[in-house]
Amino acid sequence: MKEIDARGLACPAPVLQTKATLQEEKPAAVKVVVDNAASQQNVQRFLESQGFQTTLKQQGADFLVVGTCGSEPREHAQAATEPEGDAKKIMVLCATDRLGFGDDELGLKLMVNFLRTLKEMGPDLWRLVFVNNGVKLAIDGSEVIEDLKAYEKTGLKILVCGTCLNYFKLLDRKQVGETTNMLDIVTAAQLADKVITL
Amino acid sequence: MFPTDANVIVGLERADDAGVYKISDDLALIQTVDFFTPIVDDPYSFGQIAAANALSDVYAMGGVPKTAMNLVAFPVKDMEIGILRRIIQGGLDKLTEAGVVLIGGHSIEDRELKYGLSVTGTVHPQRVLTKNGLRANDRLVLTKPLGTGIVNTAIKAGMAPPELVEQVTRLMAALNRTAGEVMARFDVHACTDVTGFGLLGHLAEMVSGSGLGVHIDSRKVPVMVEALTYASMGLIPAGAYRNREFREPMVVFAEAVERSRQDALFDPQTSGGLLISVSGTQAGDLVKALGDAGVGDSAEIGAVLTGPEEKIWVV
Repeated sequence: MKEIDARGLACPAPVLQTKATLQEEKPAAVKVVVDNAASQQNVQRFLESQGFQTTLKQQGADFLVVGTCGSEPREHAQAATEPEGDAKKIMVLCATDRLGFGDDELGLKLMVNFLRTLKEMGPDLWRLVFVNNGVKLAIDGSEVIEDLKAYEKTGLKILVCGTCLNYFKLLDRKQVGETTNMLDIVTAAQLADKVITL
Repeated sequence: MFPTDANVIVGLERADDAGVYKISDDLALIQTVDFFTPIVDDPYSFGQIAAANALSDVYAMGGVPKTAMNLVAFPVKDMEIGILRRIIQGGLDKLTEAGVVLIGGHSIEDRELKYGLSVTGTVHPQRVLTKNGLRANDRLVLTKPLGTGIVNTAIKAGMAPPELVEQVTRLMAALNRTAGEVMARFDVHACTDVTGFGLLGHLAEMVSGSGLGVHIDSRKVPVMVEALTYASMGLIPAGAYRNREFREPMVVFAEAVERSRQDALFDPQTSGGLLISVSGTQAGDLVKALGDAGVGDSAEIGAVLTGPEEKIWVV
């Protein structure tokens, strides 16, 4: 296991040292020794943000943070929830929070109903992507937020456009899905068997 | 006990933002001093921020700053004197913007650079605003977004883009003058400026001894978006952890408040905004007036209630 001695260093130096080691050596497990609680918490959070699982031990006045990276856990975890066998891959791209044109209130009701009924697609539903005004469905206060969370629990991957969230200043209000970029969206559209755009 | 006299309106025992001394029935002096080591690389910006920070204590007391004096510690053997000139120019320009005159100062040689100012202002003795004075049904208004400590940590780590460096510098250098002037038109009961103890640390000082409770809606607290991202990566200044540890017994977080947002609420601020406790019926108008005057990040962030006694509930 790769060991990093970051004792005697103040924030943010221990995090930087850990970051540099991860980048250069890409270790599967790492042990970081720090001598203060702030650095310990910062290093632990940094490792977790990089997909490591962490454990903490106290050794005299020092803290030992051990991070283990369950061999690229993120990618594999996702792969496990991907539909298998003959399921189709349907991507639904919501570029609006209203279904159709005409009356806005009716449009919102229809959209809510549409998203709730989507589950009838079963395992064929593969990606749910929100862009432009559609991102407003994925924030707190959205009528379908609980439905979307339930979808996510079943393994459906929900992508929410980061540029759009940022544009509407809603980045910190997003409640569901992964913040994503255009390349992810384009790639998903390419891989999908069918794309339904709203 | 420290010696005092009958004209001391706010002295040492209160640990407020500045001292206040009554000169006559309609005039009191506000005095404050503040200095620190550089928090940004650019000397001119450092001067501006140091001045904005020193002036802020006078605004937080409801006063108008009038005069200032420089305090300088400079490693004259190791550092080029032009750096000091730029720092002082930054401070001077900020004072000019505030309508304050520089009337003197003092410098010494030191191994580490330090700059700050002592500021004197005036206030009507009956209109002094302190940290005490919260009333039930008040609303709390904050005039600058949080996150400067976390973002400065990311800058130290070399992880912040130049636009963000510029943005946070501008934020720290922004005077609380307009916020103070607008606030004077409303029924304000208590005020402080948010600095090293973080929002919740300074709020805890206001709540202590009040017998009242404070509810904060964390989603309404303005926070720099980037600060939340950096916090989740562990780029949090040690001071934020200390602030949390110190005030944890007074603060109750709802489960839904994410860890990074909690960190932002404890993040030590440099030259932060004013935290204003205003009569509940006027909060909306105050926020609107602040926005109209250009203090656009202002937001109503919570309320003062009769309980739970001396606790801060964050939802």
